[in-house]
Amino acid sequence: MNPLILTIILMTVFLGTMIVMASSHWLMIWIGFEMNLLAIIPILMKKYNPRAMEASTKYFLTQATASMLLMMAIIINLMHSGQWTITKVFNPTASIIMTLALAMKLGLTPFHFWVPEVTQGISLTSGLILLTWQKLAPMSILYQISPSINLNILLTMAVLSILVGGWGGLNQTQLRKIMAYSSIAHMGWMTAILVYNPTLTMLNMLIYIMMTLTMFMLFIHSSSTTTLSLSHTWNKAPLITTLILITLLSMGGLPPLSGFMPKWMIIQELTKNSSIILPTLMAIMALLNLYFYTRLTYSTSLTMFPSTNNMKMKWQFETKQITLLPPLIIASSLLLPLTPMLSILD
Amino acid sequence: MMTYIVFILSVIFVIGFVGFSSKPSPIYGGLVLIVSGGVGCGIIMNFGGSFLGLMVFLIYLGGMLVVFGYTTAMATEQYPEVWVSNATVMGVFLLGLLMEVMLVLYVLKSEEVGVVFKFSSVGHWAIYDIGNSGVFSEEIMGVAALYSYGAWVVVVTGWSLLVGVLVILEVTRGD
Repeated sequence: MNPLILTIILMTVFLGTMIVMASSHWLMIWIGFEMNLLAIIPILMKKYNPRAMEASTKYFLTQATASMLLMMAIIINLMHSGQWTITKVFNPTASIIMTLALAMKLGLTPFHFWVPEVTQGISLTSGLILLTWQKLAPMSILYQISPSINLNILLTMAVLSILVGGWGGLNQTQLRKIMAYSSIAHMGWMTAILVYNPTLTMLNMLIYIMMTLTMFMLFIHSSSTTTLSLSHTWNKAPLITTLILITLLSMGGLPPLSGFMPKWMIIQELTKNSSIILPTLMAIMALLNLYFYTRLTYSTSLTMFPSTNNMKMKWQFETKQITLLPPLIIASSLLLPLTPMLSILD
Repeated sequence: MMTYIVFILSVIFVIGFVGFSSKPSPIYGGLVLIVSGGVGCGIIMNFGGSFLGLMVFLIYLGGMLVVFGYTTAMATEQYPEVWVSNATVMGVFLLGLLMEVMLVLYVLKSEEVGVVFKFSSVGHWAIYDIGNSGVFSEEIMGVAALYSYGAWVVVVTGWSLLVGVLVILEVTRGD
């Protein structure tokens, strides 16, 4: 892509999310979402194959529908409250429609069907932007309307998302689909705690973004999009296999890695609010996630996966420069001792 | 009938949208958009927005739809699909019409749901009162405010339009 156009489009993606996060007028938020959607379409279509075009079209259709639902919720809110500022959404109809619209944007069950298909059809870097940056804007709106969200709907969607994210990822060998299902499950964890303690949603979002960034950077470094090609990294760059092991276990939520911190805090907050069965179920369903992460580590780092002999003697090309990988690795694995610092958050 | 003019115009508006959502050939979609645009202008005018209604006609119908009409005329096929040519299109159109009729009936809560439509009791949706201040026209003040206090909105929308053009060029001719 022409570098000038690429710069303008990336700037617009950034600007769209910033407008959503910083606005106090509902119309500006809607404009921000639309600007974000419009500008990310060429990024998703970087390669001009039919797969990428189909993925971009699916993304555009689902996100545009969600924006329309959001606009309807905004107008119902306007009709009943007479003002456009973002506060608690007082009307239950508007609140429910808004929750559903934002769940469609995030990829929560039952609106999760687009996530694996869109993530699979696009390149790894585009998938990275899709699964990390695009989650910031809807989550910030959910954070702002969190006092008025209908608990039943949100918790149902969250628990179903954790289930679908874990269960759906079990049969996958394509790495992008695995990351997509992992994203669905993590969104479920984030929205489960939203009504009780929105700060933990932000914490989970932060740690999830760091871990997903790390994983995608590692995949981009080894240019691997399937489990099979990931299992050849022991030959290309042995250190990457160790890092993949650590980051995947962190994503699964194992102590003493940082991925344990959000899950621990969320379960603690849920039990403080006298719901015992729900966090038990969520923790059990997170095991499904852990299973396919450990399966990836098994084939990548722990064993030498069966491959043809010419895969075992690869040429050493010039190593790609990965942005910020060391800080990301540290952040996605060693942050657990910083948990007491959560008391400084709001 | 004049009291319910906004309601009637809204119903025609939605029927128009159903007409092009059932995907006939784009040139017929453009035709229906003209009708919907005109009716939308009528709705805006009923709230006192004569300037904005004129804007709809001038800019939307006279600018954007004309360009759309020319491009579809260049790209049209030999036998364009009408609403009645294809069973699917007609089915979707009739389904949309049916849902609109059910919605209208629900809104009106009319006791006589039969051959003769009597608007006996109207739900609170059908009549809007604008609550005008009487001294100045709110609509012109709104447009003026867009360019003074709302300058940021102008910047954002202008940027969005520019990026929209760039995105479309990129998507269609990116190689």
